[in-house]
Amino acid sequence: MSEKTPLQMTIAQALNRAHHQILEAEPRAIVIGEDIVGGAGLDGKELGGVFGVTAGLASRFGTSRVIDTPISETAFVGMGLGAAMTGLKPIVEVMFCDFIGVCFDQILNQAAKARYLSGGRIDVPLVIRTTMGAGDGSAAMHSQSLHGLLASVPGLSVVCASTPSDAAGLLKSALAAPDPVIMLDHKGLYGMIGDVEADLPAVPIGRGRLVLKGSDITLVAIGEMLVRATKAAAQLAERGVSVEIIDPRSIQPLDTDMILTSLEKTKRLLVVDEGPSYGGFADRVIAVAACDGYSALSAAPQKLTPPHTPVPYGRLLEAAWLPSSEAIVSKIDEMMYEE
Amino acid sequence: MNTLLSLYKEASFIRAFELHIAVASEAGHVPGLVHLCSGAELVEVAICRSLTGPRDQVTGSHRSHGLALAMGADPVAVAAEILGRKGGLSKGRGGTQHLIAPERGFLASNGIVGAQVPVAAGAALTAKLMAAGGIAATFFGDGAANQGAVLETMNLAVSLNLPLLFVMENNGLGQSTSADYASGGADLCARAAAFGMKAERMDGYKGARAIKQSAEIIDYVRMSGKPAFIEANVPRLSGHYFGEKADYLAHHEADDPLEDLAESLDSGVAERVRLEAEQAAHDAVSDALNMGEAAPEKSAEVVL
Ligand SMILES: Cc1ncc(C[n+]2csc(CCOP(=O)(O)OP(=O)(O)O)c2C)c(N)n1
Repeated sequence: MSEKTPLQMTIAQALNRAHHQILEAEPRAIVIGEDIVGGAGLDGKELGGVFGVTAGLASRFGTSRVIDTPISETAFVGMGLGAAMTGLKPIVEVMFCDFIGVCFDQILNQAAKARYLSGGRIDVPLVIRTTMGAGDGSAAMHSQSLHGLLASVPGLSVVCASTPSDAAGLLKSALAAPDPVIMLDHKGLYGMIGDVEADLPAVPIGRGRLVLKGSDITLVAIGEMLVRATKAAAQLAERGVSVEIIDPRSIQPLDTDMILTSLEKTKRLLVVDEGPSYGGFADRVIAVAACDGYSALSAAPQKLTPPHTPVPYGRLLEAAWLPSSEAIVSKIDEMMYEE
Repeated sequence: MNTLLSLYKEASFIRAFELHIAVASEAGHVPGLVHLCSGAELVEVAICRSLTGPRDQVTGSHRSHGLALAMGADPVAVAAEILGRKGGLSKGRGGTQHLIAPERGFLASNGIVGAQVPVAAGAALTAKLMAAGGIAATFFGDGAANQGAVLETMNLAVSLNLPLLFVMENNGLGQSTSADYASGGADLCARAAAFGMKAERMDGYKGARAIKQSAEIIDYVRMSGKPAFIEANVPRLSGHYFGEKADYLAHHEADDPLEDLAESLDSGVAERVRLEAEQAAHDAVSDALNMGEAAPEKSAEVVL
């Protein structure tokens, strides 16, 4: 089979394959995290991570490179940082992004600032992989979307993949980058199937992906919100409203060129995001449009985010909390009508 | 009713409650994953018997259904919270990992491993400053024992003389990682003692002894105003979460402390008590199931 033959696989499988390729190609790459081997130490019965992303790594590359940790996020994220500063290339998994609260100093003050404080002498090829997203009843401390919060820290790059090929490709670029990169996978999308090339080519950080070409309004979204945006756009298309959808893929750095170019054409912007409504990713995209795309806009840029509360638990509560595709449709209807 | 029999009754109720939650989960009535406390009931009931809310306050981990019940939270409201119903402790906002019943002395449970432990130090500080004889207790697992927050709190409690009882339930596993692997120096009780506090082991299979030992150590914390530590061995009888299917589970099967306890009781009486507990748990979970799902109160945009 040629390297270019497209394969179909889920995001979890693409990430797993990318881990295998990275560890194979780069002897300095290591993987660190809780239950990434798992299975209570029984050979051949490893868990391979709670979402299966690290399956098979330990038996193939050994437990000196695929390292299960105690439940000690501060210590093992810090260890990943120190290892990155001294020549290894660690991929550190933090099971849920909510747990980043535990080890935030190692991220905020240590990892994010190490290269700057060294005057650029020390590279930090550290990747922190974690998950984000509500929708599965995991409640307030296992459902947050902290991409905007993390992107607000100078020194960190933040990426969010929404397809199998982007997940694998961004992971590869992340490990090659000189600064720490945080990669957040949406938990609800691990099972999403898509085409990938067998060799999983790297996807550059900082470049968005045009998901759908359109002319009436630009919609920016990632993760599950991108899925809902795409559904909403299909409904609107039936009524003659043409939505252009951008998946930024990279939260920081952000592909502002792609967004501004699109706004030149559509003159309207809607950002749909699971992050907070105050100072979140949506606000950042809107700030870019307001500051640098003002003259192109024919209507005030808008956002759809959850209400500013923790993620609720009950099914109806959680469903009402998340922006739905129906809400996206009516928001866009409202914006189109306004002019 | 004699002490052992009432321990058996309460523990059996919690066991049955968890079973009915498991049934509800299987039927699709629980929004998220539930971490059942099956296997730890005896220890939790034995310790909580010597605590009285709201003067005393307890914090627990993600696996806290039984603790909330042992502190006297209304079983229907606990079940309703786990099921995401209107009548839940927090109106369905918190859920299985965030049970809160401070009026009964159950201050909070937690989705972040180890995070309940510092919070209990705060409850202990309040108890100390209020000087009304209250104490705090915090329950956590062997996995949590390796969190900085837990280790920091042990030191803090000793250094500030806080009336705080640390209860580590050692079930040998943190999710699918064994405690032997994850803990440097397998003796976690000695680790606690090294911080300078009274530290004891509790046999999670010996009900009578657990009750006596709990009463004594809680009395010590209350009278001395100092922290203490218990390491209780308990089995984790129903997987990390209910419904977990993984190969390693078959290698971690353990005896059931409740069966051991039942054997020490008159079998006819024990069976009657167990059936009553089973019926009561069934009724509580059914009542909760009959409540409406928690729903937004005003428009879809307003969640609280
Ligand atoms: C900070 C943090 N890290 C990881 C997790 C995921 N997690 C939830 S429970 C658990 C295992 C906890 O083990 P232990 O403390 O022994 O308690 P047990 O489940 O055995 O009762 C893990 C790793 C989490 N919820 N929070």
